[in-house]
Amino acid sequence: MKKELGCFVVGDSTKCTGCRACELACFTVHNRESNHVGKTVGTVSVPVAPRLFLTKFEEGCMPIQCKHCEDAPCLNACTKGAISRIDHQVIVDAEKCIGCKDCMQACPFGAIALLPYAKDGKLVAQPMGEETKVFASKCDLCAGIEGGPACVRVCPHQALRLVDPEAEREEKNIKAAEALLLTKNWR
Amino acid sequence: MNYFVKGNPDLCIGCRTCMIGCVVAHEGKRIFEVDPDSYDFNPRLHVVRTVRLSVPVQCKHCENPACMAVCPVGAISQKDHCVIIDQDKCMGCKSCMDACPFGAINMTERKGHIQADGTLKKTANKCDLCYGLPGGPACVRVCPTEALTLITEEDLETAMERKRAETARNTFKENHPQE
Repeated sequence: MKKELGCFVVGDSTKCTGCRACELACFTVHNRESNHVGKTVGTVSVPVAPRLFLTKFEEGCMPIQCKHCEDAPCLNACTKGAISRIDHQVIVDAEKCIGCKDCMQACPFGAIALLPYAKDGKLVAQPMGEETKVFASKCDLCAGIEGGPACVRVCPHQALRLVDPEAEREEKNIKAAEALLLTKNWR
Repeated sequence: MNYFVKGNPDLCIGCRTCMIGCVVAHEGKRIFEVDPDSYDFNPRLHVVRTVRLSVPVQCKHCENPACMAVCPVGAISQKDHCVIIDQDKCMGCKSCMDACPFGAINMTERKGHIQADGTLKKTANKCDLCYGLPGGPACVRVCPTEALTLITEEDLETAMERKRAETARNTFKENHPQE
């Protein structure tokens, strides 16, 4: 069946231990090519900029990331046209992003952070200033990265799940239909 | 208590008339006259067919709705025995779709509502028990085999009371076989 909705990753606070392996894996796979990040700490020369955010709350912790909304407030709020939908996923073009923070304010999940932008192992300076360029860092579902979302793959407790909403809906529909067989004589 | 529509797999023949009735109820009878591409064909219930059965599945209008609990923008509310989505508030995050254990929510395009990148918005779509429409749920009315029933709090209570009384009578008979 043709994919019609964006997929997304959700965290499970009952399994998450807050180890941040997901954040590191996310940073690593997104910076392998652009910033020569390898398998050891020594290869990291730029600030760690993850695209999902381990969040602690009263009862526990879990990573929070983009839901790739179908009427995406961030995309609608971006005046610069730096956010687009590519293959059903909501993707930020870091080069185009001017750090206006509108997307951050529009997102109801807090799934976007403005983080330092680095290229070729170095922080990128602003064209006319000393300050570092920032970009809206959010989940791109590891677009173009082999093996799918790195966070899901590295989590030692399987606390992250890649959701294909349409496929899961169909499975749940079938279960609900079968349950109707069991309750048909409810009167 | 919220009301809900329940399908009976023994009676359902999988004809999908309920799905069409649902669209007619929400879009109007004009769907039979106008260009098929000019309106939204977004039924709010779905006929499931497997090797064992066919039956429509729709929202159960839960008393503690998981969809309502996860909605980040408060687009889902309960009113008049019904769980309702405000499509103008919805921004298509799919959290409700993930939360619903029945798969009763899908995302549908909204004609005339365009996003910043020029594509159509998609928002959550589910049974609203034909909220505000005279005659009650259209699916129940149009089903040719009467496989769908609107179940109210009173219906459930009556059934439960009957079953409890039956259980009590049977237990009494068991304990007093001679009477």
